[in-house]
Amino acid sequence: MAEDLIDHLLGLAPDSPLSHLRRQRPEARRHAEGAYRELLLPPDPGALSLAERAALAHRVATREGDAALAAHYATLLAASGGPAEGARHDALMRYADLVAGEPEATSRADIEGLAALGLTSREIVATTQLIAFVPYQVRVLAALRAMMQESAR
Amino acid sequence: MSRFTLKPVGWRPRLDPVQAETATPAQLAALDACPPAQRRSTYFLTLAHDPGSLGERGALFNIVMYAEGGLDRADRELATAIVSMVNGCVYCTSVHAKRFVELSGDEPAMQRILDEGWDGEPNPRRHAIAAFTETLTRTPGTTTATDLAPLRNAGLDDLDILDLIHSVAMFANANRLMLTLGDPVLPRELRG
Repeated sequence: MAEDLIDHLLGLAPDSPLSHLRRQRPEARRHAEGAYRELLLPPDPGALSLAERAALAHRVATREGDAALAAHYATLLAASGGPAEGARHDALMRYADLVAGEPEATSRADIEGLAALGLTSREIVATTQLIAFVPYQVRVLAALRAMMQESAR
Repeated sequence: MSRFTLKPVGWRPRLDPVQAETATPAQLAALDACPPAQRRSTYFLTLAHDPGSLGERGALFNIVMYAEGGLDRADRELATAIVSMVNGCVYCTSVHAKRFVELSGDEPAMQRILDEGWDGEPNPRRHAIAAFTETLTRTPGTTTATDLAPLRNAGLDDLDILDLIHSVAMFANANRLMLTLGDPVLPRELRG
């Protein structure tokens, strides 16, 4: 089983106890990696560019306080040409802050705002899926780091 | 009175969902990766606008919540109900609180948690799961080995803890999707 993003960010050796544990749930490992690749590096990104995707993920990882994950997305962002500027970029970042930080405060108007910028339903769903997936990664990483502390004792 | 309930709560999307009759083969394939009971739900039909992310994420959700062995399924539902309360997702809370009751048979325990929170939870295993779940949900960056100790004391092994982590993380995701892409439809007696 090849190294996935979580192994990579945690620096897990293939023969470490935590790596063995993660392999007891091979499908969770595979589909979390699949969701990451589908959201950040899709073969057909449509009108939500790879740079926009990396910028959204970077924004959420940063505001959720995961330095390693944020650094990874900063690298992806740089590799995809860096952040665009303008009204669309600003609106996407505001949407990321809201969905990641205060999802209960969202309203239909936020979705309509994205549509007014020209995002299709597919792009609105992809944007929301991407913003909502980074908090999954942040919590898995945080809790696995706690397990690594346990075994280091 | 708490706004969280075991009564059925509906969900109304903020985007027109995909219609099953006119869905593309890619959308249908992605829906087939989702839990069988829910793959024609309004929620999954809304997510089907982006089939790539739905397929992988649906398969992930399925394995996190239903994988055999490891953490007891009632405990996974307890954790996901609590994440949903912390995040303010009344819809998700109602669904997963109900599943906890079905799996555990302990409706009074869940009703008390919905009404009063979990601080006073008398069952030490449930208390440990609830406390860890709240910390990882609210402040993931502060989670340390110290937060795992009560789970170990309650008898959870490595795989149980991994399943708990995945369940909590999955609902950081699920609550954000539900709260953003739609609105809860509350039972009549809870409408303000």
